[in-house]
Amino acid sequence: MRVEHSSHLLREIRVTWAVAEKDMRTYYTRPPSIMFGILFPFSLFLSFSIGRSMPISQLIPVLVAQTLFFASSSIGPVVIPSERATQTFDRFLTSPVSLLAILMGKTLAGVIFGIGISIIPLMLGVAFFASQVSNVFALIACMLLSAVSFSAMGMMFASLPGQTPGNVMMPLNFVRIPLLFISGVYTAVRDLPNWGQAISLLSPLTHTIELARCGFGGESYFGALVNVVVLLVYSALFLFASTRFHLANQRKE
Amino acid sequence: MREECAIVTSNLTKKFGDLVAVDHIHFEVERGEIFGFLGPNGAGKTSTIRMLTGISIPTEGTATIMGHDIQREQIEAKEQMGIVPDVSNVYNELSAWDNLIFTARLYDMPKAYRERRAEELLKVFGLYERREEKVQGFSRGMKRRICIAMALMNRSSILFLDEPTSGLDVQSVLIIRDMIKKLNEEGLTVFLTTHNIEEASQMCDRVAIINRGKIAAIDTPEKLKRTVESLQSIEVAFETTPYPVQADLKGLAGVSEVVKQGDKYRLYTNDPPSVLAALWRYADSCGLKPITMNTVGPSLEDVFVKLTGIRPTTESEGGQVMRRGQRREMGKGGGS
Repeated sequence: MRVEHSSHLLREIRVTWAVAEKDMRTYYTRPPSIMFGILFPFSLFLSFSIGRSMPISQLIPVLVAQTLFFASSSIGPVVIPSERATQTFDRFLTSPVSLLAILMGKTLAGVIFGIGISIIPLMLGVAFFASQVSNVFALIACMLLSAVSFSAMGMMFASLPGQTPGNVMMPLNFVRIPLLFISGVYTAVRDLPNWGQAISLLSPLTHTIELARCGFGGESYFGALVNVVVLLVYSALFLFASTRFHLANQRKE
Repeated sequence: MREECAIVTSNLTKKFGDLVAVDHIHFEVERGEIFGFLGPNGAGKTSTIRMLTGISIPTEGTATIMGHDIQREQIEAKEQMGIVPDVSNVYNELSAWDNLIFTARLYDMPKAYRERRAEELLKVFGLYERREEKVQGFSRGMKRRICIAMALMNRSSILFLDEPTSGLDVQSVLIIRDMIKKLNEEGLTVFLTTHNIEEASQMCDRVAIINRGKIAAIDTPEKLKRTVESLQSIEVAFETTPYPVQADLKGLAGVSEVVKQGDKYRLYTNDPPSVLAALWRYADSCGLKPITMNTVGPSLEDVFVKLTGIRPTTESEGGQVMRRGQRREMGKGGGS
């Protein structure tokens, strides 16, 4: 008896969700996910913010953006190298579904992790530190698009050949940490020199911070529309690069 | 290309840098047959199966699964197959039940149907009582059974098995072989890679011998044995051998080669009656008591050795040296 299948798109969506759900159950509590996705951004935040004269309500957007950045981008580098090492990733490659649907599922696991973690500082800020969300749409766009973009970024690094999460985390951190300094995290973009502003425009994290500040009543230096477009472009670019890397791996292996 | 074939490969090639792992191979697998892909470690068996199942992209050539090109019609081709890789790639963090259900979801099987199928397979493989336990705590044989059950979830037309019984206990091996035979009787095409010659000889309708990426021979096990009929041998075991006798046995008139197999010696010859007589005389003169003495026809192992040039480490003659573990896997084929 053969199983009749419904439309191709619906099928891809269902498989995407199945992959995401499985990854959530399996990898959220893994030590590297907790270490690089939760402890790392909070520690970095504390080390850079303690002793500064900035009021805590202004630091909340920074913490939200930072947790989104680190948490979302940490799941792919935990999931894919682990699955490649145990050859469970081969199950996806042999299943009757597109590679994009599989990678979207893995990206979705990172998105939900990132949003779930970054909601904690958001709630704390609103509940205890008088932070006010004045632009809900900007904040939703910030969280959603940034989580997709950063999760896809983590996926892209994880798609490079590497057998352990540690091997993937190293080059990823080599990129993630410098981005903190060129993205207007602790110094607003408007206060950067011209060349600094030009570089920060290229960083996806800049646009997360900008949208987060917009959400909390601040202004976006480049404009919210630019922020949204840049994050969308990066999401597509990272996903595209991930699929290309996987195809390259399949040719090499 | 024949439409009725389950698998057709044409010029299939895989290169890793300068190394040609699979070298322009052509073969066809008929629907409903058990096709054995036999070869030593590193011969190109796993590389071939990885290309056929879409894990790896061929460097050159094409392959079709039930008429669907594995590159151009990936989804359709993959819907037709179930895969059991050489490593039991189960999700250790999930329960046996969840492993099967997740596999079914990858095939987009409806909920009620996948639950019924999972229950049915877990019962068949004797794991239903332990369905809620995480696979992490399962034995190697149990993980293998789960892995096969996962491959059967979608009721595929072709089952790819890469070394399915390698390293398993006897009970698991018997369960798995029995299951493969039953599934084949129900019409499932089986593509089986193995370096276990006895397994291939017992189970396969046809066998391809691959060595250094090239197909050395394809035929039924019995026809392959007939190609080396000149390779006859005498198997002898002595009650005790107070000193090494292999060199003496090789010195007997008419003996071309001696291979020690456990407590037995296998003497290859073109003239078994003369060697039998010489062997009796030698045993008598040295006070050795033969407890077994058989004439043995060529086995699939002999075909394999002849075609691949791989021979046991006990022989000092030319040819490649076979690794110990590999030799141990190779059971004796036909006898007389």
